[in-house]
Amino acid sequence: MTTKQSATARGPVTHEVDGIIEEDNELPKWWVTALMLCIGFGIAYYMAYSMYGIFDTPSVAFEKESAIARAKEAERLKAEGPVDKAALLLLSKDSATVADGAQVFTTTCAVCHAANGGGGIGPNLTDDAWMHGGSPDAIYKTINEGVTGKGMPAWGPQLGSKRVKAAAAYVITLRGTKVAGGKEAQGAPFEGD
Amino acid sequence: METTPNALEESLEHQPSSPSDSKMDRITYNDDVVRKFIAASMIFGIVGMLVGVIVALQLAWHPANASAAGPWFSFGRLRPLHTNAVIFAFVGNMMFAGVYHSTQRLVKARLFSDFLSNLHFWGWQAIIVAAAVSLPMGYTQGKEYAELEWPIDIAITLIWVVFAVNFFGTLAKRREKHLYVAIWFYIATIVTVAVLHIVNSLAIPIFAMKSYSVFGGAQDALVQWWYGHNAVAFFLTTPILGIMYYYVPKAAERPVYSYRLSIVHFWSLVFMYIWAGPHHLLNTALPEWAQTLGMVFSVILWPPSWGGMINGLFTIRGNWEKLRVDPVMKFFAAGLTFYGMSTFEGPLLSIRSVSALAHYTDWIVAHVHGGALGWNGLMAFGVFYWLVPRLYGVQLHSKKAADAHFWLATVGIAIYMLSMWGAGIGQGLMLRAAKPDGSLSYATFVETLLAIKPLYFVRFGGGLMYLGGIVLMTWNLIATVRAGKPVVTTVDVPALVEEKNEVPWTQLLFAKPTLIVFTVIALAILTGATNFIAGSFFLVVAAMVAVLGGLVLSKQDDDGKPTWHRLLEGRGLLFTVLTTIAILIGGVAEIVPSLVAAPTEAGIAVKVDPYRPLELEGRDIYLREGCYNCHSQMIRPFRYEEQRYGAISTLADSRYDHPFQWGSKRTGPDIAREGGKYPNLWHYNHLVDPRAVTAGSNMPAYKFLATSSVDLEKTRFKMRGLSKVGVPYTQADIDGSVENSREQGKAIAEDLKANGVAVAADSEMVALVAYLQRLGKLRVDVAPGPKAAALDPSLTH
Repeated sequence: MTTKQSATARGPVTHEVDGIIEEDNELPKWWVTALMLCIGFGIAYYMAYSMYGIFDTPSVAFEKESAIARAKEAERLKAEGPVDKAALLLLSKDSATVADGAQVFTTTCAVCHAANGGGGIGPNLTDDAWMHGGSPDAIYKTINEGVTGKGMPAWGPQLGSKRVKAAAAYVITLRGTKVAGGKEAQGAPFEGD
Repeated sequence: METTPNALEESLEHQPSSPSDSKMDRITYNDDVVRKFIAASMIFGIVGMLVGVIVALQLAWHPANASAAGPWFSFGRLRPLHTNAVIFAFVGNMMFAGVYHSTQRLVKARLFSDFLSNLHFWGWQAIIVAAAVSLPMGYTQGKEYAELEWPIDIAITLIWVVFAVNFFGTLAKRREKHLYVAIWFYIATIVTVAVLHIVNSLAIPIFAMKSYSVFGGAQDALVQWWYGHNAVAFFLTTPILGIMYYYVPKAAERPVYSYRLSIVHFWSLVFMYIWAGPHHLLNTALPEWAQTLGMVFSVILWPPSWGGMINGLFTIRGNWEKLRVDPVMKFFAAGLTFYGMSTFEGPLLSIRSVSALAHYTDWIVAHVHGGALGWNGLMAFGVFYWLVPRLYGVQLHSKKAADAHFWLATVGIAIYMLSMWGAGIGQGLMLRAAKPDGSLSYATFVETLLAIKPLYFVRFGGGLMYLGGIVLMTWNLIATVRAGKPVVTTVDVPALVEEKNEVPWTQLLFAKPTLIVFTVIALAILTGATNFIAGSFFLVVAAMVAVLGGLVLSKQDDDGKPTWHRLLEGRGLLFTVLTTIAILIGGVAEIVPSLVAAPTEAGIAVKVDPYRPLELEGRDIYLREGCYNCHSQMIRPFRYEEQRYGAISTLADSRYDHPFQWGSKRTGPDIAREGGKYPNLWHYNHLVDPRAVTAGSNMPAYKFLATSSVDLEKTRFKMRGLSKVGVPYTQADIDGSVENSREQGKAIAEDLKANGVAVAADSEMVALVAYLQRLGKLRVDVAPGPKAAALDPSLTH
């Protein structure tokens, strides 16, 4: 057996143990090349990031990315015009926006405020009492920035101003509709816009 | 002489030297323990994979959590059982079988001690049973693949020492002077697993089955993934490579391709693997230099890993025709191919930008199953199909069934991996997708889960096929065993003659190869540890030494005398010492700096308040239920993560987390900044019935928390323990813990009552809500610096 195996060996035979023969073929050239390239890449990468700071580390890259996004956002908001009482009231009378808002409301708000706005985990949005203000701009602010500690998440970062405005427009249409079976009033009575 | 009836086996066992040359020793191998380990591996393989199929179903179809029956079968408790069973019971027992069987033959000695062999076997099985009982009961340290509580950890250490004594004792009485490459890998395994297990399991015991890691926050993250990654390296890779080096040439009846490739890839693999741990923590709050090292070494690791695959596949290459007819060869060839695929995918995933997409998603799940099912599983099956007939002196009962198993397994893996690649990449892309205005396309996490849920069913199917395969194998091998009877293998081997004029060990230790390599490593470490001017100098010197050293060493090849490495192979102890040094360098270089000085963010004065006593109890419930298996607490520095989850996580956020809970997979959303986001009632409703709050959620229900209570009197022991590992609880905090908890619990219970829910102030529900409401709020900025963890103001316009 041993001799037969040696005869079929493809390279110089070195040792034999328990019937296993070890050949001593050269390392495949492509393998050695790959190893050298990987080591070279590793050294270059470490130098570029951790020694010479040629490339941005993730935290620096993140800050730059944020700055760019911030500038873009400011530009966009400026183009959209001010988000004030009048603008929001106008949107609440636009049926397409309100329909969009209803869509957003169903997927993100209905969990706590009920599908009809009657409230559950969160307060009733169809009565006349408001915990964080019932004026259009207050509603927008509450959705956009949330109320930390009161359990209202800030939806602005996820939804963006367009969807937040639509949701606010829809909520404006809910005010005072007093749906049946709604949660008892919470917060201060709302006097009107 | 060999008593195996198989003619091939007999000829392979034949000793080339003539018996008249020298004194012969008659030895009988201890194969009983090998047979036992194989049986245990098959039984626990079926158990581990069955639990795997169950947890896969749970992710696709939440009623499989059987939440109404109690907490024992929920995903968070069963997933650790699945991973532990597959790694330590299935692969572990297979490894011990392979190591014991091949080592005796490779060193021509019976195992050192029958008593230790049996103790090893029964001790290990007792540990597995303890794991199978304690994990569903909720006893866990909350660290992945190291969940088992401290008494079991001590038992693991003791049994591992038994293994080591038995193994090295066998080497000590060997009749084969030179250690074959398989033995090198076994040595690396035994030494490294011991080091990893002991360091990562260091904990302060609180109760009989409760402890806290001595490491906290980023330190714990670093230690845990140094362990976690190298459990893959030294429990699932090196021993299986050693086994490959014995059984593949045996089954292929071909010589091993390249001895020098064995040397190069063994040393580069064991040295480099240990550095790669931080690739599990890319883009986290871990200091960036450690992340960079983790990534760089993972990329360099690719060729050394492939060295093993090349040596295996090129060994088979001379005998491809056997691949058609022999199921064993099919399993080996496919196993090696999966090894090559996984070890290419691993470095790819370690690239920072690829990790950004893949981390926390099912892509990683696909990757690890390529390794576990494809490499470990197929290699194990190959070994069993080859070994069991030989251990019982018969032919395999059904070759057809083995062929069917091969196809079930490979197609099962293919279905598994393709579905999880799709789910992982798909969800990763959805989570970062943005609308033209920069807002998130998928504003809620559950939308992305619903999109990939069909693939969870597909994965369940793939897993089921793989499970069917191992059941088929077990039937086949039981039938094989029944047809034969245990073979007692006795061989006559020449006694080892003491070599005269042996090269002294000092001359081997202080030889050119070691001196050159250690000089290069020392210079490389100086490069990293100094500033860029000095570092550049050290780097240039290191490169020069490496190149010149390489030239010097390559010149030594042709003088006809045994090479330095050949001499080293005759020195078991020195070989072990050098291996130990090789695996310690990376760990020390990466971990010690963070232990000496806890990493902090530069330029920020922060104060971190520890958890209040009730929150601490809530956190222990979070650990017990295994919430970390699906929820991360680490918001990475990407805009889409900040938008979705809140301000990016900093080191301070988790400074007092023993153990850290950064997580490794997001089946649900990140909850690092969950505190204050939703009202208490939201959490109550969500824990009682996740679907009531998030339609389509696959989270188990935790209704029982409302009726089970926390023993507030016990919190003080936990606080005292934590204060010993650096959490700043004062004596007054500890003394007032009951009062403090009652007060906080009462406030939450009253709030819930006002909203129509009656729940006791000392219930586990209230404690868990208290914890969740504190998440992301431990840090108090004294003087906010440039990197303060405030939400980017532009995000709220």
